[in-house]
Amino acid sequence: MSKRVLISFFSLVVLLTTALLAQAQVKKPKIGFLPGVVDPFYQVMEVGVNEAAADFGLEVVTQYPQTWGPSIQTPILDAMVARRDLNYLIIAPTDKEQMVAPLQRAIDAGIKVITVDTFLGDGDYVNGKVTFPISYIGSDNVEGGRIAARALAKVVGNKGKVYIQNTNVGVSTTEQRGKGFKEGIAELKGMELVGEDYNLDDAGTAAQQTSAKLQANPDLVGIFGVNVFSAQGAGNAVMAAGLGGKVQVIAFDATKDAIENLRKGVVSLVIAQKPHDMGYLAIEFAMADARGVTSLPRRVTTGYAVIDAKNVDDPSIARFIYRVGK
Amino acid sequence: MATRSQTVAALPARPARQKQLVLVFSRVWAWAFLAGLIAFFAASVSIQSHGDVNFLTIRNSQNILMAIVPVLLMGLGQTFVVIAAGIDLSVGWIMGLSSVVSALVNVALIDKGIYEPLAIAIGCVAGIVAAMIPGLINGIIIAKLRIPSFIVTLGMSFIARGVAFLLSGGNVVGGQPQGVRDLGNEALLYLISGPNGGLYFLRAPKVTGEALRQLDRILQWPVVITFILLLIMLFVLHKTQFGRHIYAIGGNREAALRAGIPVDRHMIVLYTLSAATAGIAGVLSTARFSGGSSIAGDPLLLSSIAAVIIGGVSMFGGEGSVSGTLIGALIIAVMTTGLVMLNVQPFWQYIVVGVIVILAVLIDQARDLIIGKMEAG
Repeated sequence: MSKRVLISFFSLVVLLTTALLAQAQVKKPKIGFLPGVVDPFYQVMEVGVNEAAADFGLEVVTQYPQTWGPSIQTPILDAMVARRDLNYLIIAPTDKEQMVAPLQRAIDAGIKVITVDTFLGDGDYVNGKVTFPISYIGSDNVEGGRIAARALAKVVGNKGKVYIQNTNVGVSTTEQRGKGFKEGIAELKGMELVGEDYNLDDAGTAAQQTSAKLQANPDLVGIFGVNVFSAQGAGNAVMAAGLGGKVQVIAFDATKDAIENLRKGVVSLVIAQKPHDMGYLAIEFAMADARGVTSLPRRVTTGYAVIDAKNVDDPSIARFIYRVGK
Repeated sequence: MATRSQTVAALPARPARQKQLVLVFSRVWAWAFLAGLIAFFAASVSIQSHGDVNFLTIRNSQNILMAIVPVLLMGLGQTFVVIAAGIDLSVGWIMGLSSVVSALVNVALIDKGIYEPLAIAIGCVAGIVAAMIPGLINGIIIAKLRIPSFIVTLGMSFIARGVAFLLSGGNVVGGQPQGVRDLGNEALLYLISGPNGGLYFLRAPKVTGEALRQLDRILQWPVVITFILLLIMLFVLHKTQFGRHIYAIGGNREAALRAGIPVDRHMIVLYTLSAATAGIAGVLSTARFSGGSSIAGDPLLLSSIAAVIIGGVSMFGGEGSVSGTLIGALIIAVMTTGLVMLNVQPFWQYIVVGVIVILAVLIDQARDLIIGKMEAG
């Protein structure tokens, strides 16, 4: 009998504590953060998310998919929704089409969604195909691609053959960077695009494809690496071929590797996005929405910092290098 | 399983009990592990969240069932192949190929104005047939040219990958009709919990707000289809002559040949079947994500093989069952969901799965060793 009494007493205590704790939490939203894959870009975004969460005193649940793709991201998303304790979800959808149905489920379950870095549908959440997310916070990637093209052209004197190292087709961000770069190159008479390869987000594959391209086109003057792994692979291939300084690599994303290559002169220019700001802003948006703000912009672009060998040590620029920890 | 129980029956009476114990343990440990895993997550998730988050919910059970669909489907065909002492490494990219083909056919037929359900049915069949072709080729080369299955299917996985990318241009094939999304996401039953709730059959109730929040889809179509297939495969493996022949071929190919079993023909059927189940996984992936993706299956291939091994299918052939593969797939899916709810990095999942895979084989070997000693003594 005493055992039963003890158990009842214990459960009562647990219940009361839970109720009290629930009372104590005055309607502060709980937020889930689900990046696309583990890489320095999203890790810096997480730093921004965590900083904002600490500033507002919010709780954030973060989960990283091990590999890129809806078949890996969706089960994690489902489990986060099944927690039933999240009010907002900040997510980088791994496919603009395929993640629509899984995210609709989160919406149905009462979770509000903010997409960061990548968007759903055509990215127009006002009149477009998908309108359920609160906002898209990311870079204008077409503009980023154009910036890369112009910068590369300037370094090589507006003439020569260039090549794109891309990741996967169907990913909105990298697709648009490639598009912007092609547009930028097409505007210049002396420049010619000799190809675009897809490395499926693998630096090894990027290096191999770039090596092959360098052999087929000995007069190549520039390569645009559309993300962390692409630029890393392209840079490694250029170094391995002993073409450092002769073939200019434009790196998208300011990882430590990219900056190291910049210092060595292998990479001429690094286009830095502002993932930290994306993460911080996303939490601010969730907080504002929770407080009843209805005028939040549906699309926010966070802009770029252009890093070269001259300004890399300038603190106002260097703060955009993707660094996690000290 | 059948062969094992026959061995037991033929043994002398006294040590038979010990042997029985060893056999029972080797058969039930995976079930016990799964049950323990669920109990562990139920307790730890609840404690960690101070009772706010519940692991044992209908929604979670359905999430887990949806998560095992592709892994289990690829694992089903694989189970048959591995029992026959082979391996099929091509199923990951064959799944992607099927996903792309079904999506392309859907779009093409809808554009031509064909009645939507018919178009989708043709799309599904096209995806599965597109998967069976490389499977058939696998089987013919393995059976007739005697090239190891490991090599043939590895080669075929690259071919399927290339074809899938060529057909899709590397893109996700979108533009799918609503019916495709329904096939992948709607369910047999709908449950709204709470005071104004109810159980709905076949049709999703049109609700909003809190009721929509409480709406659980029970037995989504991909799950229903997968479990019907599971039952069929179970029947084929244990109740038909074809099933018994597979065990015989895996146990001893030469003996099977001498016994007059059409080994070559069975091998061709097996690899075609394995590709077909991967094809179904591809079609269902297109439905679930309303888009055909060539990379849909590749990240899941190794999980599906791990599920087969955890389920106790011997890589040397002749042993194993479809139900074991189900347990293997469930263990992996329960772990992913549980670790996410515990907010542990899902990378731990890899380490735990790795340990279980090795443990599963160790347990099987220990069993054989112990029984071997008993028989010798």
